[in-house]
Amino acid sequence: MLSGWRGMRMGQRALAEGLVVLALLGWWWSSLELPATVLPSPPVVGRRLIGILTTPALSWHVAVTTLRVLLSVATALLAGLLLALLAQAVPWLTGIIMDRILVWLNGMPSVGWAILAVIWFKVSDFTVIFVQVMILLPFSLINFAEGLRNLDRELIEMAMSFAGRRADVIRKVVLPMLLPYGVAALRISYGVCWKIALISELFGAQSGLGYLMLQAQAVGDATTVLATCFLIVILFALGEAALINPLARKLRSDLAEA
Amino acid sequence: MPAVPRALAPSGRTLAAHLFTLSTLVAWEIASRHVPVFLLPGPVLVAGQLWALLTTSAGLAQVGASLFHVAMALAGAFLVGTLVALLPYYVGGLRLAIDQRLTPFLNAFPGIGWTLLAILWLGLGLKTVIFAVGIILVPFMIINIREGVRTVDRDLLEMAASFGANRWREFIRIVLPSLLPFMFSAVRVSFGVAWKVTLTAELFGGTRGLGYTMNVARQELETPQIYAVIVLIIAIVYLANRFLFDPLQRRLQVGSRSPA
Repeated sequence: MLSGWRGMRMGQRALAEGLVVLALLGWWWSSLELPATVLPSPPVVGRRLIGILTTPALSWHVAVTTLRVLLSVATALLAGLLLALLAQAVPWLTGIIMDRILVWLNGMPSVGWAILAVIWFKVSDFTVIFVQVMILLPFSLINFAEGLRNLDRELIEMAMSFAGRRADVIRKVVLPMLLPYGVAALRISYGVCWKIALISELFGAQSGLGYLMLQAQAVGDATTVLATCFLIVILFALGEAALINPLARKLRSDLAEA
Repeated sequence: MPAVPRALAPSGRTLAAHLFTLSTLVAWEIASRHVPVFLLPGPVLVAGQLWALLTTSAGLAQVGASLFHVAMALAGAFLVGTLVALLPYYVGGLRLAIDQRLTPFLNAFPGIGWTLLAILWLGLGLKTVIFAVGIILVPFMIINIREGVRTVDRDLLEMAASFGANRWREFIRIVLPSLLPFMFSAVRVSFGVAWKVTLTAELFGGTRGLGYTMNVARQELETPQIYAVIVLIIAIVYLANRFLFDPLQRRLQVGSRSPA
């Protein structure tokens, strides 16, 4: 039974990798007929990708984008947690935050933020991070608010009667209970941030992968556009495996110890 | 002092929210009088632009174009997403290929990348916008509908097979009904995303539509027009959720709760 299951798994695996190879071959085959400005071949794009990573002048753009993403995710998580706590703790703010600010943040198109932020703050690092944080905020706010709604009220009241100090109760009881929702907020924000990183850099930056991509598109350089897209996919996957997953595991084990 | 403050009564919550809306509008109007109009046009000015967008034939043509883009992209993505999500159900060996290769790849691929590539492949215009928006929506559709495919009741299927139901009847009677709620949430999630990414796609790759309008306004520093488009998008997403998707969802839940 087990060997049969394992065999099936192997078969699926072979089929999956086979289809990836087939897709690459299909891409390569179509690129033979088409000019490089329309569809460059996979080796050409691969070489450009490695070129971006190894040329200091270009890999600098990669580093800038990565740093902005990490900073924005951290800021958005903090701001979302703060807003959710406020909505929960101050009764007259609940409707304002959940029925007005959240609805507005949620409906706001990301490209709208990108254009308005440039009008307001000109081209700068702050502009890019502002745009990213505003786009991520509803995701993190929704997750933390959901967590706070599911909190064990009786436990908190009991802790209050023992500890008495509000700050202590928040730090030792409320925050640990929020942790799973925080991890969810982190995962979602991280994924979304890589996808919208390019948009926020299109208008508001003179550096970063979004800037690089728009420059390439303006001169019909499909190779660099494709290489940038794949780079984003790779950076996202690497960051998730190297940073987000271990962090989530560590947070969970800390919680188990506490 | 209670540890966790009790929430306000619903009416208090609504009142506070309305007061907030009102004071925001007033603060916006006052602030707009102290800064140049290209930075922050006042609410009255923006409302005027919005009115023009919704009442003049030129404005309505742009709104209509965006509506068409959104509808076509949603329909295309729904079709493709449903087919891809059902594939592993009928060809079991494809599960890994779709769940761990295709879907994560599509999900991580940046939307603006699709848009710029579509411009290089298809030029500016209708095809580019619909392709870019559609392919951005496909992973949202796959993820939601795959979730539904996993919940299809195996026992029910075996019973149907033992009664001699053929594949097509089995699909119509058992698979499709259990997928419906998931298809609904796939469309619901995609609808909000669709409006937002259509704006981006039209801005770069369109020759009409609200995103195109916004790009023209951006180049001419017609900030009130930009605000009007943003307000319209937020209103469309909010109103559709409130008056279309929420009632539909309630109905769907009531329906699924009825005894089988």
